[in-house]
Amino acid sequence: MNVFLLYLLLLKATTTSFSGMTSLPMLRHDLVAKHHVLTDRQLNTAVAVGRMGPGPAGIYVVSVGYFAGGTPGAIAGWLAMVTPAFFIVPLLSYAGRKAQHPRVRSVIQTITAAAAGLVLSICLPLARDAITGALPLAIATASFLILNFTRVETLWVIAGSAFAGLLGFLI
Amino acid sequence: MWNFFSICLRIGNFTFGGGDPTISAFYREFVLRRNWLTREQYATAYALARVTPGTNLLAFSAGAGFLLHGWAGALAAVLAITIPSSLLVVWLTMVYQAGRVNPMATAIAGGIIASAIGMMIASAWQLVQPRIRDGQWLRSLLPVSGAMIALSVYHVAPITILLIAGVIGYCWPPREKRA
Repeated sequence: MNVFLLYLLLLKATTTSFSGMTSLPMLRHDLVAKHHVLTDRQLNTAVAVGRMGPGPAGIYVVSVGYFAGGTPGAIAGWLAMVTPAFFIVPLLSYAGRKAQHPRVRSVIQTITAAAAGLVLSICLPLARDAITGALPLAIATASFLILNFTRVETLWVIAGSAFAGLLGFLI
Repeated sequence: MWNFFSICLRIGNFTFGGGDPTISAFYREFVLRRNWLTREQYATAYALARVTPGTNLLAFSAGAGFLLHGWAGALAAVLAITIPSSLLVVWLTMVYQAGRVNPMATAIAGGIIASAIGMMIASAWQLVQPRIRDGQWLRSLLPVSGAMIALSVYHVAPITILLIAGVIGYCWPPREKRA
């Protein structure tokens, strides 16, 4: 795939999302289902890799770019991640008070809720690829519960899952 | 300017756990410890970052950088936060691609990938949960379930679903709470 087209598709996904993972459904729609430059397993890996290190959750787009187009793809992913951030400058300069407007907030709230629904529904095809037995199911459930109900750092959850995977292999 | 850059570098790349913990670390550094930004400036940047598309943390730091040093500050903040972590991500992706032939590495990666599913569900839940707690459960669950059905059953393009959700949000603002 042409790197510029890849950048535009990734930018479309990052610009229409308002927090971390909500660009995922759009990415899957364009890159996995439509253009076939990415597999579900690679998308899954990109999400996991993105959470392994520090930095914002949206950083997995860089890994997606690398899977789809090597190093130029990773650069396209990085650009797509940072481009929308600069939209805040004109907002800061001109529309400083609009963010508190109830209608604007309401639009953002419903878009965010719909985006959460989209994330939930793409978990299904991704889970079909990742959850192949009882152990992955237990890991996924435990990760969900720990992240939701405790204040444990994400890094420990990932380290624990890696250890569980290793244990499952050795036993 | 160099001070600003190095703080972004430190906080952006050593605070794990994503946007909100990092943004609150910036509050400690910029507002409480150094008085570079006023509380109001911080709050405005924070609110606008939520409205700006893309990653909130990046928009916030670009905004804070702009308030402090203009366009150069915005650019410096975004570069400081994303370059080291992006390099790490590319390296990890390469390691994964090279390591998937090794069955032990595949087993470890399998565990991490399974946990990513749990993470995604948790992140979706955390987006909706505060709204539900505010007593706006209908305004949150309707877009959530509507979007799920539209995507899984009718295969509507995600961008269309988000646009429709935005229009619904515009026409259906939350009722003001009365004391």
